[in-house]
Amino acid sequence: MAGIPTEHYEPKSRAERWIHRRLPVVELIVDFVTLPTPKNLNWMWIWGIILTFCLVLQIVTGIVLAMHYTPHVDMAFRSVEHIMRDVNGGYMLRYLHANGASLFFFAVYMHIFRNLYYGSYKPPREITWIIGMLIYLAMMATAFMGYVLPWGQMSFWGATVITGLFGAIPGIGPSIQEWLLGGPAVDNATLNRFFSLHYLLPFVIAALVVVHFWAFHTTGNNNPTGIEVRRTSREEADRDTVPFFPYFVIKDLLALAFILIVFFAVVGYMPNYLGHPDNYVEANPLATPAHIVPEWYFLPFYAILRAFTADVWIVQIVNFLSFGIIDAKFFGVLAMFGAILVMALVPWLDTSRVRSGRFRPQFKWWFWLLAVDFVVLTWGGAQPAEGIYPYISLVGAAYWFAYFLVILPLLGLIERPAPMPTTIEQDFDEHYRPSAAHPAE
Amino acid sequence: MTFRTVTLTAVAALSLGMAASQVQAQAQTITVPLNEPGTAAPAQTGPGTVVTRGSDGATTVDTVGGVAAGSAPAVPANDAAAPAAPAATDTSAAPETTQTPGATGGVAATGPGAAPATGSIADPNATSAEADPSAEAASPSGMTGGATVESGAGNVVSGTTDAPATDGVTSTGVPAAQPQQPAVTDAATTEKTGGDVSDNESTPRPTAEGTTPAPQSSDAEATSTARSGTAAPDGAPATPTPTQSAGEPPAAPKEGLPASATEEQVTAPVPVGTEEGEAVVEDAPAPAASDAAAPEGAADTPADGQDHAAAPEGADAHAAEGAPAAAHAAHVEDVDFSFEGPFGRFDQFQLQRGLQVYTEVCSACHGMKQVAIRSLSDEGGPGLPEDQVRAYAAQMTIMDAETGEERPRLPTDHFPTVTGLGMGPDLSLMAKARAGFHGPYGTGISQLMNGIGGPEYIHAILNGYTGEQKEEAGSVLYENTAFASGWIAMPPPLQADQVAFADGAPADVDSMSMDVTSFLMWAAEPHLMDRKQVGFISVLFLIVLTVLLYLTNKRLWWPLKHGRDRLNDGR
Repeated sequence: MAGIPTEHYEPKSRAERWIHRRLPVVELIVDFVTLPTPKNLNWMWIWGIILTFCLVLQIVTGIVLAMHYTPHVDMAFRSVEHIMRDVNGGYMLRYLHANGASLFFFAVYMHIFRNLYYGSYKPPREITWIIGMLIYLAMMATAFMGYVLPWGQMSFWGATVITGLFGAIPGIGPSIQEWLLGGPAVDNATLNRFFSLHYLLPFVIAALVVVHFWAFHTTGNNNPTGIEVRRTSREEADRDTVPFFPYFVIKDLLALAFILIVFFAVVGYMPNYLGHPDNYVEANPLATPAHIVPEWYFLPFYAILRAFTADVWIVQIVNFLSFGIIDAKFFGVLAMFGAILVMALVPWLDTSRVRSGRFRPQFKWWFWLLAVDFVVLTWGGAQPAEGIYPYISLVGAAYWFAYFLVILPLLGLIERPAPMPTTIEQDFDEHYRPSAAHPAE
Repeated sequence: MTFRTVTLTAVAALSLGMAASQVQAQAQTITVPLNEPGTAAPAQTGPGTVVTRGSDGATTVDTVGGVAAGSAPAVPANDAAAPAAPAATDTSAAPETTQTPGATGGVAATGPGAAPATGSIADPNATSAEADPSAEAASPSGMTGGATVESGAGNVVSGTTDAPATDGVTSTGVPAAQPQQPAVTDAATTEKTGGDVSDNESTPRPTAEGTTPAPQSSDAEATSTARSGTAAPDGAPATPTPTQSAGEPPAAPKEGLPASATEEQVTAPVPVGTEEGEAVVEDAPAPAASDAAAPEGAADTPADGQDHAAAPEGADAHAAEGAPAAAHAAHVEDVDFSFEGPFGRFDQFQLQRGLQVYTEVCSACHGMKQVAIRSLSDEGGPGLPEDQVRAYAAQMTIMDAETGEERPRLPTDHFPTVTGLGMGPDLSLMAKARAGFHGPYGTGISQLMNGIGGPEYIHAILNGYTGEQKEEAGSVLYENTAFASGWIAMPPPLQADQVAFADGAPADVDSMSMDVTSFLMWAAEPHLMDRKQVGFISVLFLIVLTVLLYLTNKRLWWPLKHGRDRLNDGR
């Protein structure tokens, strides 16, 4: 499958040959799990399996939950309580599902930032990156709609606010919003379609994940050095890699088990920590919560959305230049989606030919600043839009865009990379076998 | 079951603390064979016997009545309360129908329902005043009966607080004959009746049958009251729960109790066969002990984290309450509840007391529509015997969806839905729908350390009244240090000794608020203990798995990292 020279599956027994001629499924599986994998992968390469686990967890628990849930405005809240109180193990199913979403997003952010640091988005892995971004978008849509289903106060008002974003589009916005909601406001039609889509999108994600796998199995994994596996000969490739099974299967399972310790501690002991108390109050269209906050994993982008208020000069300029078509609200919407868009375009914005941040002395600082910026935006998104908070969010949003649109393009031109090892094997040996490293050189 | 058993075992073995708490929690359930059920004769309760119990009782009742009345319209279900009050005394005659007026029974029952009653909410007091006489006596008994399972063993209790009030109640204890009936039922019934009264028609029967005969209960109360006067002295020692107590103390006070007490079984809290014949008495092992947690905790509470809601997070400002979230620094103190921590468990007796407080006080204005009444007998909850649950349910009425007629509730029904002008928000999920802690600075660290603080918030609200009040836009607001805006529409719901606990647990405001808060936490998260068990087992299992995988991984990679080249390893 991959371009890395390796031992491929050959049907040996008669039965295997019989099957192989008709459907080479065994070959597919074997080649999949024996993918030559750079042997110097560090612990940041475990998030993929966590994400895969999350997807399966969410689908399995979600399907069972759907058996007991009623997507109707009069019964949704009660049916969730029914799950919590009367369904056998229902409270665990629901808490696993709700907190599973948080684990999913935590893992995906770690995964994304790992890629940003090690330059995994760079050629030839742009398509893997783009598909990953699509998965991320689908995840956000799924999570958002899933949060509406319990029909609590935050569900209802979150849905109102988020769908209102589409209403900010000049001209056609209100029509789009009404089309999305199935009516003039969030109501039963909205709940029904959100339930339907919430059930559908995970399978879309699963399909995208397959393509994601396919893509990186074709290019091979990146690794902490950003150096490609030698493909000139089978022997050299074998010096740089180990088969995915068993080496990384066991390592990833170890990581998964460790992460699950934390996960189950959260589910068992503080399952509502990441939720909002208001969502235990049934949706009431007549009572607006004092402070509408999305789930934590949306907060960075929610902060960007709210950062661009009408008194920000760039908003005023754009408003003037567009003859008032782009007002502050629409500008915020554009900024929010733009923040994700610039991230998706990073393969073409980063001009450095060095992949790994490990060998980019200046880049490191900007990267870590971006990571801090992300945390600050997460925090800022949870604060009320008053006082100094919008300014902090604005600074954070500005850096976010500056990083992708200014710093990365320029840095590639002016930065002098640090010396790099020539092979993955050398990198590995320097870590673990200093004595063996020398002969290699 | 197996899984659970294993879990429990493991937990116990691993944690002394847990073990301890477990033991405590399980307390002893004692099954006391009742005397002949029949005897109990409803009739006895002499009608007149109103025992007014000390002010306490009165207070209690009143409040309820008043409240209920106010709320009224909303809930169709119970109405009884209001009417009851006046009647109280007389009721005795027809136990079923009338119910002692105000008698607590009535109260309790009605409470939930909506009280159609007369009075306006606003002046609970007024109502109360009226009701008092009758009510007083009743109240204690009624409730307890229904709610309390715990009759502290007489002994235990005695030691503790036996407020005069209690005595009264106890004493009331049904005249000798009655002992049998599970007190509980009686109470319940009574209540029902009360409810019925208002309704008249339908009500009575259901109740009567299953559990204890309604009449008795009422009688019991009434009688009790009457006797209470007399009995009081004796009863005192017994103090046990009203319900039971009612039956036992007087009649076979010594007999049953002592024995039972000794026998205390460690078995599950859930009483065994509670048939009519048998009265289940759970002893609070030393009431003191079990309760201790609550009261003490309360006392101690001040503990750590207090939080000033730095960020106007708005959790508080609820639509329902309509309080604008002001920048007011709501003050919520951290409280040590028995159900907190990795091995936290609900205190069964505390939940029962909390149910009593909810029934006698909160239910007048707050529904609990998500909670099925049957869950009162669930393991890990209040653990009431099924017949008591049946009787408790029957105190409240519901409009049958199929027949369109009003009928007593069954255990399979839920607690009432209470809506309407002046009514408070539903309490089913209140303990999870509020945050007591915020920040600091929006980081959530405080919640990480102390929990989200829903129970603490409820506790703080109940204890946060300063006594100040003001009138604004036609409604009276009460100053409350825990409420976001500083002024809350709910009148101070609890007064000291408003509720008489059968187990003799202290009934000061803080203790009662601890009890009802725990109960509401259970109502919001009935599987909390199960969940923590699953969490514990899962974490334990995963730790073992992680260690094994770590060793496997280390061994697997050893040759690569420390050995010769992979290619030369001959593999």
